[in-house]
Amino acid sequence: MKKFLTQFRALLWQALQVEWSNSERWLSPLLFSATMIILFVFSFGKVEPKFLPQLYIAATFITAFLSLQIAFSRVLEPDMQDKVFDQLRTYPISPSAWFLSKYTIVILLGVLILLPTLFLSNLFLNEGPVSFLSGSILIIGLLALLSLGALGVLLSTMMLRSNAKQILYPLIYFPLTTPVLLSAVESSHAVLVDAKVLSDLMSSWLGLLVIFGIMYFTLCLLLFGELVKPE
Amino acid sequence: MIDARKQDRLTMTLGFVAFLFAAACWFYALKLAPSDEAQGEVYRIMFFHVPSAFMAFLASGALLFTSGWTLFKRSPTAALWSKACAEVGLMFTAITLITGSIWGRPTWGVWWTWDARLTTTLILALLYAGYLIFTSSMAPGPQRDRMAAALGLVIAIDVPIIYKSVTWWRTLHQPPSLMRAGGSTMDPEMKNILYVCFFAMLFVAIWLIWTRAVNLKLQAAIEEHSHQAHSH
Amino acid sequence: MLDIKLLSFRYQYKTILSRLSFSAVPGEILHITGPNGSGKTTLMSILAGLRKEASGTIEYKLPNGKAASDRRDHVEYLPAEANALFGKMDAMSNLRFWRGLRALEQSDATLRAVLKRWDLDHPLIRENFPVESFSTGMKRRLALARLELSETPCWLLDEPLYGLDTKGIETFQTLLDNHLQGGGITVIVSHDIAPLEKFPVRRLDLLKEVKA
Repeated sequence: MKKFLTQFRALLWQALQVEWSNSERWLSPLLFSATMIILFVFSFGKVEPKFLPQLYIAATFITAFLSLQIAFSRVLEPDMQDKVFDQLRTYPISPSAWFLSKYTIVILLGVLILLPTLFLSNLFLNEGPVSFLSGSILIIGLLALLSLGALGVLLSTMMLRSNAKQILYPLIYFPLTTPVLLSAVESSHAVLVDAKVLSDLMSSWLGLLVIFGIMYFTLCLLLFGELVKPE
Repeated sequence: MIDARKQDRLTMTLGFVAFLFAAACWFYALKLAPSDEAQGEVYRIMFFHVPSAFMAFLASGALLFTSGWTLFKRSPTAALWSKACAEVGLMFTAITLITGSIWGRPTWGVWWTWDARLTTTLILALLYAGYLIFTSSMAPGPQRDRMAAALGLVIAIDVPIIYKSVTWWRTLHQPPSLMRAGGSTMDPEMKNILYVCFFAMLFVAIWLIWTRAVNLKLQAAIEEHSHQAHSH
Repeated sequence: MLDIKLLSFRYQYKTILSRLSFSAVPGEILHITGPNGSGKTTLMSILAGLRKEASGTIEYKLPNGKAASDRRDHVEYLPAEANALFGKMDAMSNLRFWRGLRALEQSDATLRAVLKRWDLDHPLIRENFPVESFSTGMKRRLALARLELSETPCWLLDEPLYGLDTKGIETFQTLLDNHLQGGGITVIVSHDIAPLEKFPVRRLDLLKEVKA
């Protein structure tokens, strides 16, 4: 157990160091988010106030989703240089520790992207006096992130040696995450438009979100081990 | 060793039987089944559309099994079966989507609707396509087999989840299914024809997957022989 | 002892290794030789755990005679055309990371002592200076420093002398001497033979073995 924790800490610390080494790494997804939301505002045009919550939800989740893609592809980039990835496979690393370290950094990046996106989206899209920002929306976003992160780490690792990375990621990742996105959007809609409380939703969409999170996390954790075994 | 001639004969015979059966079913469906009160003659495409949809999803179940086999038994043959399942699955999703459009246009006036089944079929088509693009973008070998198997498992496990989610989502936003030919009030004779067509399609699907897998095995055997020939 | 029995490996229908059997014992260098394409690097990567053998067994026997459950605990690999270093991190961070993976202590004193031996202990080099800015020789020396710090009894070295100058080669020889004296196992692929001649070397010629 101690070895697991030491390895996890070493891997996580390394990933954090790489992220911090260059401010561009976490700045560009944020700038991307801002640009996306502004584009949405321009393309929506004049919108009837009653539709704004729906558009807010749509724009926020799409933007967060796409900026997350950028973050995912970068998380494994340092490992591809200088055959680091292979060297890691020659070390007696617990695959779970490896997966968890990547997962943690992805969640951290995800939160770093989600919070400003929610904020900017509310700022640019909301024309009413009531803020769309709420603890409930934040919790929904975080729960969605737990599933999206797991699939993201697994898929990025799979795509490492593929030549068609760019097209594959949206082609496979988006369809696979449909249930998560649907649950997140429906939950958010229930909160913002129908004024439901989170505890009400536990038996429906929010409960699903939690279940998906657990399922995808477990599945990806198990399969990651298979990916790093000797070929 | 594969006895190519014997294999060919077997394949042709079984294929002939399967397609003959299927043709008989569809002939019956197109010519002899009773007309539907509400939809007239167009509804007959359902006998083609619904079984295709089932096969598309069944192929993902087969993919689950073959991917698991590849991963845990490290079998290169199972990897070929996985590819065959994905290809045939993609074909059936295409047929489902196209026949769905053909059915929808004269009946309800739309080329496309976000019905739960169609939506899931569309997603499945994207997943099959992605899977095939992925496997062709990597160099052949045990690594590709393992990665493809992991992807196959994720896709196959996810399909029922996607289906359930989309179904719940659609029941929220749309009145219950437009795409049923009468639903539970379907004429019993129509139902029987549908079941028979379903079995016919199942035979065709199995034959297609099997033939394709044998095809891929043959391809691999040829490559191996040509490599050996060159090194001697 | 590293014990290999009837090892076979195929790559895209070509048999690269066929029923290879040999052992690497403490105190001597096992030098794997053969022409280009005979499978030297492939064999090393199989031993390191990167590739899976088609058939045969690889066993690492501990001093007490039992077989190790995961030989990677006792083996350190040095790849041929790479150094496996994080370009954006500095030398000390790199060493700390790799030591941390083996759950070994990572005090500055320990790391600096080794860096000094490899001529990398300068304050402007060891910290806040990304490894990607190192020269070829410096990178190789840092990789060898990692090797030294791994504290593993079995070393798999693929072209370890690549990019090293005379001083580097001397330091490597000293390192190798200490390792062998301490009962360490060494498997080397190297087309530069001269620096190895002062050590007890056993040759394994892959060309002969494959044809057999």
